[in-house]
Amino acid sequence: MAVKTESKNGLMVCRVEGDIDISCSPDLKKVFDKLIAQKTPKIVIEFSKVTYVDSSGLATLVGILKNMRSYGGRMRLAGMSTKIKGLFEITKLDKLFEIMATEEEAIAGL
Amino acid sequence: MEENKVSIEIPSEIKYIRKVSSEILESLSPYGPDEKRLFDIKLCAEEAIRNAIVHGNRADKKLHVRVSYWVEKDKLNIVVEDEGPGFDPEKVPDPTEKGNMFKESGRGVRLIRKLMDKVDFNEKGNRIRMEKALK
Repeated sequence: MAVKTESKNGLMVCRVEGDIDISCSPDLKKVFDKLIAQKTPKIVIEFSKVTYVDSSGLATLVGILKNMRSYGGRMRLAGMSTKIKGLFEITKLDKLFEIMATEEEAIAGL
Repeated sequence: MEENKVSIEIPSEIKYIRKVSSEILESLSPYGPDEKRLFDIKLCAEEAIRNAIVHGNRADKKLHVRVSYWVEKDKLNIVVEDEGPGFDPEKVPDPTEKGNMFKESGRGVRLIRKLMDKVDFNEKGNRIRMEKALK
């Protein structure tokens, strides 16, 4: 798993590549802990190169959202494959997260 | 006895999860399951093994997890058993209920129940059996 971050239009875009599973969820959390410590107001996580997410990955993303909301931050997810979006739908996390089809759509209006 | 049944025993360490799921997926190539089925099988096998390691055996490296799998009538069967005290799957909080949405646990079991065709637990709650059609 790798995360590339880019500051863009006043928000932070985080492009994740690879698997978000139990072996790399702690690394993902560390990346976002730094952004949260800086009270980054708006984050878009881009998923188009994410190949796999397990329940520990979902739990990590929920934790990131919870921490961002604690200081009024906003987060959107973008570019998910149908398979991965299906996991959010099964767990009803699609109701908790703002999930947009593309990065551009996620940035717009955030 | 099930034909072509393969059994693997691993220590309770996260690093073995992917090794086992990869072996299961490789064994399925003669049956030609589509990409979505392979994704579901990989995820559910890994969720079940992770639960066995983390919740069942409490990551005690002295305890083992046994994984068995076989194909019967174009259906994959996977059994995952740990050496822990077991749990009551009916008592796992529903992760989709409003008050539980921010909780960390419970999603693995829900994903397994939704993505596999049949799922059952033994009475003790330390063994799960999952079935998924390959076509």
